[in-house]
Amino acid sequence: MTVPLLAVDKLEVVYQRAITAIQGVSLKVSEGQIVAILGTNGAGKTTTLRAISGFLGLDDARVTEGTILFRGAHLENRPPHEITWRGLAIVPERDKVFPNLSVAENLAVVPRRRGTADGRSMEEVVYHFFPRLAELKRREAGLLSGGERQMLAIASGLMCAPDLLLIDELSLGLAPVAVGKLTESLVQIRDELGISILLVEQSASVALRIADYGYVLENGRVVLDGDAQRLLGHADIQEFYLGHAGGSRRSYRDVKQYRRSRRWYG
Amino acid sequence: MQLAVNILVLAAIYALIACGYVLIYRVSRVLNLAHGELMMLGAYMLVATASAFSMSPVMAVVIAALMSLAVGGMVYLFLMRRMTGEMVLAAVLTTVALGILIRGAVILIWSAQQYHPRAMLGWGNPVITLPGDARISLYAALLIMATVVVYGGLFLFLRFGRWGMRMRAAGQDPLLAAQRGINLHAVFALAWGLSTFTGALAGILIALDSGLDSTMVMIGLKAFPAALVGGLDSLAGALLGALIIAAAEVGVIRFIDPLLADVVPFIVLIAMLVIRPWGLFGTREELDRV
Amino acid sequence: MSKPLPSASGHFRRSYADEFRLIETRLAKTSAAAFALVLLVFPFAVSPFYVDLATQVFLAAIGALALMLLTGIAGQISLGHAGLLAAGAFTTGILYKEFGAPFWVTLPSAALAGALLGVVFGLPSLRLRGLYLAVSTLALHFLVVYLGGEYETRRGFSTGILVDPPVVFGYEIYAPRVWYFVLLAAAALTLLICINLMRSRSGRAWRAIHSNETVAEALGIGIARYKLLAFVITSAITAMAGALFAYYRGFVSIEAFSLYLTIQYVAMIIIGGMGSLLGALLGALFVTLFPYVIEGAMAALPGADRLAGSVFAVNYAAFGIVMILFLVFEPQGLVGIWRRVRNYFLLWPFRQTALGERP
Ligand SMILES: Nc1ncnc2c1ncn2[C@@H]1O[C@H](COP(=O)(O)OP(=O)(O)OP(=O)(O)O)[C@@H](O)[C@H]1O
Ligand SMILES: [Mg+2]
Repeated sequence: MTVPLLAVDKLEVVYQRAITAIQGVSLKVSEGQIVAILGTNGAGKTTTLRAISGFLGLDDARVTEGTILFRGAHLENRPPHEITWRGLAIVPERDKVFPNLSVAENLAVVPRRRGTADGRSMEEVVYHFFPRLAELKRREAGLLSGGERQMLAIASGLMCAPDLLLIDELSLGLAPVAVGKLTESLVQIRDELGISILLVEQSASVALRIADYGYVLENGRVVLDGDAQRLLGHADIQEFYLGHAGGSRRSYRDVKQYRRSRRWYG
Repeated sequence: MQLAVNILVLAAIYALIACGYVLIYRVSRVLNLAHGELMMLGAYMLVATASAFSMSPVMAVVIAALMSLAVGGMVYLFLMRRMTGEMVLAAVLTTVALGILIRGAVILIWSAQQYHPRAMLGWGNPVITLPGDARISLYAALLIMATVVVYGGLFLFLRFGRWGMRMRAAGQDPLLAAQRGINLHAVFALAWGLSTFTGALAGILIALDSGLDSTMVMIGLKAFPAALVGGLDSLAGALLGALIIAAAEVGVIRFIDPLLADVVPFIVLIAMLVIRPWGLFGTREELDRV
Repeated sequence: MSKPLPSASGHFRRSYADEFRLIETRLAKTSAAAFALVLLVFPFAVSPFYVDLATQVFLAAIGALALMLLTGIAGQISLGHAGLLAAGAFTTGILYKEFGAPFWVTLPSAALAGALLGVVFGLPSLRLRGLYLAVSTLALHFLVVYLGGEYETRRGFSTGILVDPPVVFGYEIYAPRVWYFVLLAAAALTLLICINLMRSRSGRAWRAIHSNETVAEALGIGIARYKLLAFVITSAITAMAGALFAYYRGFVSIEAFSLYLTIQYVAMIIIGGMGSLLGALLGALFVTLFPYVIEGAMAALPGADRLAGSVFAVNYAAFGIVMILFLVFEPQGLVGIWRRVRNYFLLWPFRQTALGERP
């Protein structure tokens, strides 16, 4: 088997030297894959993505255990800009654009790494995928709507010409129609540019429709993972993330118990 | 008329110094209280290069200014870099300590005597008579020109330059900037370098105009109200703030009491802090950020 | 600055009475008694030079304790400390020169002037935080210094105001040893006041405001009142220190109250250790003795007479370096070092590490 693009192994992150946000999280993204992370609020999804993309010292968060390998190189506790240079970009959950810079400037501040294989500049590519942004070029990013902002954030992430793009809360603030378009573009981006994608998404149905593989996080641990198709059909996912009531209602506690035992016994 | 010229010259001095405060504050939210000392250091660099390059005076000035650029960058890389992530106050106090260190070092190296770099370079300082019978010395006129050029350059650089944009971006959201692949240390070092460079330019021109000793620090400190009155995060504000402070100071010297000269900027500052603490052009949110 | 390390003393309070005690353990009691004894004997055991030095330390300790209350405890940054000292000194000088006012009038007047000035210094704090507050106090410093200078020139005391030694109950306080005990008592009194303030409702309110103003407000703490109170108390104490300074030196001149003096006081609380009264004392000791140590070191160096002219410059440079070293490498100051050393010995052979940090 080849080396996966990104391999996270038994990761543990501690905030402020006291709060353990995630523990023993392992996940893999192979070249050309779209991988989804699911989980309720506070499960540790954002923490996982931010650990991969590098905390800034300001945050007082540290990776205390485990390894993050990107193309076989260690990324733990590296400064964020270095991680971006290696080809790993993130679209964060909050504060995703520079509000006082125009749309064009938001894209221009990114240091150039390279263009695409067919000689187009990254700017052209981005405007091709998000034509709406081309219309708004001169607008200040702080004046964009939430959805436009999300597009700009993804576009800026693409400007870094990454090999792997991390997206936190993909559909945050987007109209359902826009979500549909966006997910299509993402698949296209993956197919045309060969960019792998690791995304966090609240809506399991949206995420699993485009993803190849999925992980479910709960209380800072991976409780379930598998092929997207398999997860879509999984009873727990059906019940807790897709809202289809299962046959027999079990209490939350029973479910946890059941999950835990399944994790231990395979 | 002469009054207007005096105001303009003083405003140019304050503006040229104040943009250094603004640059650093805008990019890294640190108030550099060592700016006056760094500016003085720049002027003393000229004393050093003036004796080393006595053949080509222009060369001496250029090298002194460039050395200041390097000094500023190094101050960040070796000292202020360690203070990122610390509380703002700690960073500000570090600059205060740096100021004391520079003051001591300057006197140690160059002693407390007064220097006249212009004489060392063998240049004169002719007085130019302007229409309306106002008079201005050559270097004062150069100072005004330098201020115009520096501000013009900075506006263009911040607006259109790639690194200028990056400086604005880092000032707004350092974490996001880093995540977009911008090397924050490079941006901050650049801001410190540019700030020290502009400060040193002011210091050098003042020293060429009227000589140099360690009291120059006070001019640097008096320029800081100009930055704050205009709004600490606004270059245009610094320009206007400098004009206001200079007008107040020249007016007071002329009409009230010359002894007040050193306090006027601070009185204006207090008035501004009472009325509109975030400054004329500053953003209001700044008050809560620090 | 960052949070202090917890103490690993092994001593726990077991009753409410324990909570109120100033001195808790027998070890603390014996060491305090020994220390007091040393202080009492000190002036009789050493030369007048050292007595003067100790007296200066006490004077600095009063100002440093006051500043620690304001900045270290209540978290309000002030760069106007020299201005407050000047206000006290000048109140004394002016009252003495103009009206021949005695000791027991000038001292309370200085305190009153300081308190009023404290309100003025403190008013900006109701609107401004952090940097902006520091800047406004800095501006006020220049204003006070200007007013002092203006008085000097207007009245023709351009070299300074001479103040005769104070007379208390017909006894003239003049001898160095007498001053030593007067200022020792003043410093001890200030320390006692500060300790008790810290334990009072105001002390708790200040610490709450320091750690998070918004939360403190939500908890129903009257922010404005306590901030102003901090400024007023600090300023009153500082102004009194200024008045004592005027009497001790017998001379008031605006030259003495430069920005550098402010920086020295700020350095005291940084080097001593933010948020700790012990830190203020240690800082006062360190900063007061520092120039003498430097001078001594330079005198011991070969070619000392050649360096004599640059003592002042070396002082500045060395002081800047020491301040930087503390800010960068030991933000908790001398107290932090002291706590670490103590914990090391108390816990030996174990080592203390914070969670999430590999030993
Ligand atoms: N800066 C921080 N300091 C302390 N604890 C934090 C910090 N950020 C997150 N946490 C804690 O870490 C845990 C995981 O948070 P995280 O943001 O990763 O959740 P999430 O899965 O992204 O949730 P959501 O779906 O709501 O975005 C939470 O319990 C949160 O309280
Ligand atoms: Mg999240």
